[in-house]
Amino acid sequence: MSAVDVEDFIQQNRAVADQVETFRGYWESDKHWQARKEFILRNISEYDNQQLDQLLSLSMVWANNVFLGCRYSTELLAKVTEMAEGIVVEDAPVFKTRDEIVKKQQGR
Amino acid sequence: MGVPAFFRWLSRKYPSIVVHCLEEKGKECNGVRVPVDTTKPNPNEVEFDNLYLDMNGIIHPCTHPEDPAPKNEDEMMVAIFEYIDRLFNIVRPRKVLYMAIDGAPRAKMNQQRSRRFRASKEGVELVEEKHRIREEIIQRGYLPPEEIKERFDSNCITPGTEFMDNLAHCLRYYVADRLSNDPGWKNIVVFLSDASVPGEGEHKIMDFIRRQRQPNHDPNTHHCLCGADDLIMLGLATHEPNFTIIREEFKPNKPRPCALCGQMGHEIKDCQGASRVKQGQHDEFADTGPAAEQEFIFIRLCVLREYLARELTMASLPFPFDFERSIDDWVFMCFFVGNDFLPHLPSLEIREGAIDRLVGIYKDVVHRTGGYLTENGFVNLERVELIMQAVGVAEDNIFRKRKEDDENFKRRMKEKRKRMKAEQQGPAYLTTGQFAPQALGRRDRPEPVQNARHQAYDMRMQSREQHNKDAAQSLKALMRNGGSAGPSDIAESRGLKRKAEDSDSEPEPEDNVLWEEGWKQRYYKTKFDVDVSDEDFRQKVVQSYVEGLCWVLRYYYQGCASWKWYFPFHYAPFASDFTNIKGMFTEFEKGTKPFKPLEQLMGVFPAASGNFLPSSWRNLMTSEDSSIIDFYPDDFAIDLNGKKYAWQVALLPFVDERRLRAALADVYPDLTPDEKRNSLGSDLLCLGKSHPLLDFIQELYRTESQEATEIPAELCHGIQGTLNLDDDPILPDTVKSPIPQLRDISQNSAIIKFKDPAYADGFVFKAVLLPGAIPNKVLKPDNWVKGSQEPWRPQLGFNPNRQQAHLDQSGFRALGWDRAVQSQQLAYQQNMSRGRGGSGPGGYQQGYSSARGYPLPPQSRRYNWN
Repeated sequence: MSAVDVEDFIQQNRAVADQVETFRGYWESDKHWQARKEFILRNISEYDNQQLDQLLSLSMVWANNVFLGCRYSTELLAKVTEMAEGIVVEDAPVFKTRDEIVKKQQGR
Repeated sequence: MGVPAFFRWLSRKYPSIVVHCLEEKGKECNGVRVPVDTTKPNPNEVEFDNLYLDMNGIIHPCTHPEDPAPKNEDEMMVAIFEYIDRLFNIVRPRKVLYMAIDGAPRAKMNQQRSRRFRASKEGVELVEEKHRIREEIIQRGYLPPEEIKERFDSNCITPGTEFMDNLAHCLRYYVADRLSNDPGWKNIVVFLSDASVPGEGEHKIMDFIRRQRQPNHDPNTHHCLCGADDLIMLGLATHEPNFTIIREEFKPNKPRPCALCGQMGHEIKDCQGASRVKQGQHDEFADTGPAAEQEFIFIRLCVLREYLARELTMASLPFPFDFERSIDDWVFMCFFVGNDFLPHLPSLEIREGAIDRLVGIYKDVVHRTGGYLTENGFVNLERVELIMQAVGVAEDNIFRKRKEDDENFKRRMKEKRKRMKAEQQGPAYLTTGQFAPQALGRRDRPEPVQNARHQAYDMRMQSREQHNKDAAQSLKALMRNGGSAGPSDIAESRGLKRKAEDSDSEPEPEDNVLWEEGWKQRYYKTKFDVDVSDEDFRQKVVQSYVEGLCWVLRYYYQGCASWKWYFPFHYAPFASDFTNIKGMFTEFEKGTKPFKPLEQLMGVFPAASGNFLPSSWRNLMTSEDSSIIDFYPDDFAIDLNGKKYAWQVALLPFVDERRLRAALADVYPDLTPDEKRNSLGSDLLCLGKSHPLLDFIQELYRTESQEATEIPAELCHGIQGTLNLDDDPILPDTVKSPIPQLRDISQNSAIIKFKDPAYADGFVFKAVLLPGAIPNKVLKPDNWVKGSQEPWRPQLGFNPNRQQAHLDQSGFRALGWDRAVQSQQLAYQQNMSRGRGGSGPGGYQQGYSSARGYPLPPQSRRYNWN
């Protein structure tokens, strides 16, 4: 699904879209929220109401990875990358993780 | 407050607030240690009423000190007891001892998370490095010291762990023991507030003090509080006139032992695994180092109040001046430079004199504000905006100055390095042969040069040859490289290496330079990933920050306003962004509940510390299907944020409270009864048998009264509160010791549950001096001139009428000060007489007695200068 499809989806499923809006984090800027919202909407069909928290958790895993620079286990990251297929994030920030910094210091 | 430089700045600016502690040490008689009798008057010439201990400030240094680390948990407990004993000995409270252990609110959770995630990683890295070095040592053929199996994970010092539960248990034992056996504890009431009671240790203490300010309270109660820097703000916020803080004296640059073999003098990467050198003939000096035992200092807040009175006094105000309120404002402004709950504004650094700047702005602006910034812990936002705007105007200059300072620093370092290098290299040219430099002082050296001309000729020839050699080499190099070859190649071929860290190379540029043009855009882009034109977002950040300021102030003056609140960003906004903040905040959400201890752990620990949690809970930290797996990244980004060390920002995701609680609801049934440490508990009150309140309590237990009872004020120094029976009281009976090394006590003391006196919802604690409070003055009055009517003497320590010692003339003679004066005069006159052509020994007397109006002292017969 491209961005246009997502728009269509939203228009057709107003209720779902509204519900998803409530999941926005206070600290999320428009750019971050748009990306994460897309993630949720793309995958929401596979999760029923009971399991929504799992979907939210995965969406945060993906968002934390892209926007905050967190790393998780490889399987988890692979899973969310697959789920995020098709989402385009422009101008994603670049980070140095703690492990990288420590390795660099030791290598000196 | 966790602002590291704060105390250093404060004690430099207001030096009289610090008083050294006099500690009476126990004596040893025939090999038996005689304990100190704490019923005697305090050697510091002051009598304290209440001692409050923030146990976190004690547990941390006792559980992993750099000097011999305790081998196991039991030793740690004993170390903690000994530390408390020391404090008790120095302070000797006469009425109350209050021990508070942390159970922190949500707002601090992010900081705690950050620390624990980092500590966990550092611990793992240390273990790896140790392994690596052990391997290296073995390869080199040495034997490394025995491996210490257990690594103490400091993350266990978090409310809710088994360790903290054990600690609470052990403290009960300790208290019971001392109450029964130590005469110094006879009449005091002991309060224990452990990790099952929510709230930070120091704030529980604050709450207690605040709630005790009721009609039965003695306004001149002398409080003594033990812990770190936060307490200065807290102490000021109570407005109790006699408040003293006791803390360890910080000695900078103390050497640390190597982490692998435990010896001093080298770091782990240089460790050779050598065995420890015996100290003293039988290794009896093993545990003592050149560094003496940790000393304590008192910080007198009444003196600080005096200083602040001078600093903050303002004339010609449009509203009545109230000193207590200006103190509150000062406390509020100190929050801007840093506190545990909010990142500090980027332009305000203590080291740059931020507080002085703020006070200056405050005094400037206060004429416009029309009133004080705060009242009883509530913030007037309109007035705060004026202050922030003034800071905003100065921001540009602050950043520019920072850049200049940084560049100057780098430049000086570079020059210093050059100088050091030059010194090492020695002079550019050294004479050779017989003219070579020789050390003086040996017999027959240096010998006279033989045949100097020949030698000089040889030297000339030699130097010519060298030049030829150099030229030949450079020609060869030229032909080899087919291009330009200069003297630099020759230098290299002679073996002069260039270090990689040559001072000529520029250091790596920082990610975000605040002082260059467009700093605002860059800041918002790199820190928040937001365009500077996104006004809404910036307003959001500012609003959260404003809420934060209100929350923090409320926390200090009224108590925790909301257990849910936290600052949801990793960085602070700029001061210049604080516009129109008046309407940004009204009230906090009511009815919020604190986290239970295990819930708190889930919110604060990384997956690597999951061993502190029950296994089904641990699973939520690692399983892919967990609905909270995003709270536990394996690795996270770190932003240096312009600082070099620990206060970098760890970019960890924030914990979503709703999802956490929802996830835990599923696994709650899995808790064993043992893990009931998860429930919220109550404070405990403990007394010895001779305390007047004991009978009252025993009566309560006998009648098994179920409802809460008020403490009769006259039985307990005016302390108020409600009592409730405890399930596990220690009544006159034998108490089993939970620690094998310490004995069981057959004892007589009592423990009962205690609750602070309740106040109506919405009650506002007034930040005022209570009537009847008597201030004491220590500092020199401003307009005091020597010989004026009011007598004044500098005061060292607590007692203004300290006994002074005097020396008689004989004393001066014994010290030799009289001779020093005389010989000084002699020498002076000597010099003068020499100038006049060196007359004989009797000359000076004649020369000067006429010029001066008084006779000279008799010539000393001991010394004959001529």
